[in-house]
Amino acid sequence: MSSEPKGSGTIYALRRVFQETPTLRKGIFITIGFAGLGTLIQLVVPVVIQTVIDQDLLGADEVDVGSVLQKGLIALGAMFLAFLVRRQALVRLARASATGLSELRVRTFEHLHKLSILHTEAERRGALVARVTSDIASIQDFMDWGGVGLLIGVAQVVLAVVAMAIYRFDLALVVIAAVVVYTVMLVWIQRILARAHDKVRTRVAQSLGAMGEAISGLPVIRAYGAEEETRVKVADALDAQFRSEFRTALLGASLFSSAEMFAGLITAAVIGVGVVTGATSGMTAGTLLAFLFLVNLLVQPIQTLVETLNQAQSAGAGVRRILAILDTPIEIDDPDDPVLLPAGTLRIEFDDVSFHYKEDAPLFTGLDVEIAAGTRVAVVGETGSGKSTFSKLLTRIHDPISGRVLLGGVSLTDIATDDLRRRLAYVPQEGFLFDTTVADNIRYGKPDATEAEICAAITDLELDSWVAQLPAGLSTPVGERGGQLSAGERQLVALARAWIVEPDVLVLDEATSAVDPALEVQTRRAMEQLIAGRTSVTVAHRLSTAEAADEILVFDQGELVERGSHDELVAAGGVYTAMYADWVKGTQKVE
Amino acid sequence: MTTQHTSLKSMLREGGAIAVRFAKARTGSFVLAVVGAALFVAAIVASAIVIGWVTDELIVPVLDGGESYEDLLWPAMWAVVAVALWKAAAVILRRTAASFLQFRVQADARHDLIEHMLKLELAWYQRQSTGTLLAVSDTDVRQGTFILAPLPYGIGSSLLLVGTVVLILILDPWLALLAFFCLGVIVAVNMNGAWRMFNAFRDVQSLRGEVSGIAHESFDGALTIKALGRIDFETARFQEASERLRDKLIYVLEMMATYRVGVEGLLSAVTVIMVIAGALRINSGAVTPGDIVTIAYLLSLLFIPIRIIGFVLWSIASSRAGWERVQDVYDVRDLVPYGDLLADSDDTGAHVSGSTVSFAYDEGGAVIEDLNLAIKPGRVVAIVGPTASGKSTLTALMARLWDPSTGSVSIDGRDLRSFARSALPGEVAYVSQESFLFDDTVTGNIAFGVLASEGDVVAAAKLAGAHEFIQELPEEYDTTLGERGTSLSGGQRQRIALARALVRKPRLLILDDATSAVDPSVEARILERLRDSEMPSTIVIVAYRTSSIALADEVVFIDDGKIVAHGTHHELTAGVPGYARIVEAYAEDAAERAEEGRGA
Repeated sequence: MSSEPKGSGTIYALRRVFQETPTLRKGIFITIGFAGLGTLIQLVVPVVIQTVIDQDLLGADEVDVGSVLQKGLIALGAMFLAFLVRRQALVRLARASATGLSELRVRTFEHLHKLSILHTEAERRGALVARVTSDIASIQDFMDWGGVGLLIGVAQVVLAVVAMAIYRFDLALVVIAAVVVYTVMLVWIQRILARAHDKVRTRVAQSLGAMGEAISGLPVIRAYGAEEETRVKVADALDAQFRSEFRTALLGASLFSSAEMFAGLITAAVIGVGVVTGATSGMTAGTLLAFLFLVNLLVQPIQTLVETLNQAQSAGAGVRRILAILDTPIEIDDPDDPVLLPAGTLRIEFDDVSFHYKEDAPLFTGLDVEIAAGTRVAVVGETGSGKSTFSKLLTRIHDPISGRVLLGGVSLTDIATDDLRRRLAYVPQEGFLFDTTVADNIRYGKPDATEAEICAAITDLELDSWVAQLPAGLSTPVGERGGQLSAGERQLVALARAWIVEPDVLVLDEATSAVDPALEVQTRRAMEQLIAGRTSVTVAHRLSTAEAADEILVFDQGELVERGSHDELVAAGGVYTAMYADWVKGTQKVE
Repeated sequence: MTTQHTSLKSMLREGGAIAVRFAKARTGSFVLAVVGAALFVAAIVASAIVIGWVTDELIVPVLDGGESYEDLLWPAMWAVVAVALWKAAAVILRRTAASFLQFRVQADARHDLIEHMLKLELAWYQRQSTGTLLAVSDTDVRQGTFILAPLPYGIGSSLLLVGTVVLILILDPWLALLAFFCLGVIVAVNMNGAWRMFNAFRDVQSLRGEVSGIAHESFDGALTIKALGRIDFETARFQEASERLRDKLIYVLEMMATYRVGVEGLLSAVTVIMVIAGALRINSGAVTPGDIVTIAYLLSLLFIPIRIIGFVLWSIASSRAGWERVQDVYDVRDLVPYGDLLADSDDTGAHVSGSTVSFAYDEGGAVIEDLNLAIKPGRVVAIVGPTASGKSTLTALMARLWDPSTGSVSIDGRDLRSFARSALPGEVAYVSQESFLFDDTVTGNIAFGVLASEGDVVAAAKLAGAHEFIQELPEEYDTTLGERGTSLSGGQRQRIALARALVRKPRLLILDDATSAVDPSVEARILERLRDSEMPSTIVIVAYRTSSIALADEVVFIDDGKIVAHGTHHELTAGVPGYARIVEAYAEDAAERAEEGRGA
């Protein structure tokens, strides 16, 4: 995020939001025009009433009811017209803000999905949801309440100043000078207020964090009997939030009351100057009173504008957070001029690939790997060896920092996403499921898949007996995040979801780690029969997969240290030999 | 989505009840805010009187009558400033007190909500989405307390409304009747608007929940979505929900614009009507022109209270819509029942038993059925079974994360349900497949909910095989983990979670596949250390690897929610084919492969 001063930050942020969202600014001048016109027409009412009182009621002995009625009807007509015009201004504003912000919301959502932050920094996901919910809502609030006030207020100020200048230029100068002084003061106070609001936001984030932890960590809290400790933690965070909110409100109250003082002082000044100079310059009481009426007209919106400053602060903060997302360049972008993948089985190449998650911790430097088309490869290594990252580079979840990953001789960066996902399927360990049925989750891999295709995939993977014991078979709802299924079952669904794509390259990253051994072996054997001739890369925690592979890649601290068949590597006496001994010890029959 | 229509009366009654509840909870600040509002309104009247006085005594005589201003100029200016000071002070009082009221009530409501949720059964919790619960605690509480911002102001300024009608009554009863009728119409229009808004607000709120739900789910599944190339689909799904929210918002905002501008227009119209009616009354000699001037002026003052009353009514609508969802959580009565047994500080392992235990989740059939089990103190027991056989559920029942539908689970003959709140974790420690880390230091995460010395924490970390990597973290045991902290690998997280259990020296330690992401040799070392340590625990582990199972004294083989066999690993391997099939799957696979290799 940029580090410009906070005061200009808000204005900068709000200006940026208008730039980023053309819908917001489309026709904004027409809207302002409507607001100004409405305010102008509305002024007819007090003027008419004043005239009626001065001419018809106070002036004559007998009131001319016809004349009063006529003027009254004019006022009512003006009032109705003002209603129509002002309503139109508000409606236009509402439409523009709701539409523009919905667009901004969707854009931010899409942009977030195209960044890697969602899966590399899983813990921040909850906070990122706020970008497309509460941050947008704070801008919406500002547009709908503050924006209206701003629109009408500015129109009123301009009208009042113009009218004043027409009445008495010298008095108008006094008022304008005062407004300028007050505005300078407001900007100064607003800076203090901005700091207070920043503190509130920090405190709000902290108490949200504390509440979020209490809610999502509830099972752990229950298991460890830490309810009271958690409650105290939440209470402390909420108290800290309350104190900073109250302090800010106190500051806001002072700010708002300064508007009242300003109004009083300016009225006193106009009376003073008017009375002292009026006697010599020939000003009538009527002129001065009309002028005072205009002063009142001017001061009212200034109070509203001060209030708007408050809302602008939190809207500005929301905008800044959204801009921080939108300003992060997309790492994985579709090529402008995509190359079509060749038909048939595909070979894989890593050409001088370097990669790191954090600058100070390089993972791969100059990695070269070639996997022949149609081979079954297992990737093994200890935690942190880079085996999982290898699969993410291969599937273009990440792009290399330098070097290229090629599929069928084409660099991944030159392949259209649709083309790539049709030919290559990747099953990560998590096995994330959506809150719908088993069938719909499988169909997520291939939206146009028929019921028959889904059943065929299940049969291919020899999972029929598993599906049969589900409460409602394929129509069983899986619950939120697949919570109604066990971890192993979730992985089975995720596997079927990739299988249904019928990919030419299958990449599995510990995709069956939570499935029981018997079922895992059975499923793997079923797949082996079917993927003959296709390229497959399996990142394996359990070495039984490696035993069955054509070739094994052994990673250690970001380097490819060994490769070969299972028998070759066991005999080699290196890293794999030790890993395999460990595995055999863990899985052998215990006599 | 269906809009349930709530009647105007019930909206006002329930909205009023919410307001009364808040006002009662914080009477002091509520009264202060009302007083501040009343003082403010009085100041507005006073400023009008002062301006009138200055006009009559200073401006007109000086400018039109040519009199000297010497005597009155300074007093007049001072009077104007003094009234402004009064107004400013009243503003500070009203706003400060109202803010105190609003923010304090919000903090209290959030605290009470979390406290309440912490007491509810996990069965209830499992049915909720954590995102929704957080939204209830955050946005719904905020929306539910909206009413508190304008309420004191509304009450205080209503005095002006009453005062105006009374003053007009004194001047002329017929005009007062007319004013009363006109103002009644305005208030009725306001109420009608609030009522229609209420029903629309509800839809907006539920659409907001939908948008947030999709974002939560979609962000959680980000890797899967990217892997399957479905970003466009997700964006379209989100866009659809966002646009439905947009349309509803436009509908609400248009309605609001109509009422807002309409009511202000109506108020101007009332002034005009009163002046016309006043003209007729002058002719009949009932009132003087001066009275009409006063009435017109009084009516112009009503802009403030009418506008604020509108706000109050609309806020009642939106408050009720928000508070409804908060109240729904408060009203959940699925409290975990507790007894009064305290934890036993005995330093022997616990005797665990389950008799005729059955369990079913909300949807679907029985996961555990009529299960009987006894585990002797100090034993290490492995629970083995195929995918989805009920292993995790069984361990969760032992830790009393759930209660059985029938039957009972006890340790040392004491039913788990007879323990006092927070007492059971003094005896039982449970580590699940998913390790949840708190936004706290390593030490804070390990010594979670328990008083432990630094030495205890390090010892537990060593036992859990976590000490080595903790020492390599930027600030070792003081490194912050969790949402804003350092990211750890799955295996590292699991070891921290294990240390969290071990530091309590539990009499029953339950590990539900808790070391699945740890390398096999590391896992075996941890389990060996555990068994050989001085810790007087009964240990229950859910495991697959024969190396882990071999460390167990006995094995419980479970399938389809029933115990199929209970004995030593040897007995089960020899006598239970289903068991052998699972634990020896890899060995069999390797053997078969070797066979095939030779055959080829």
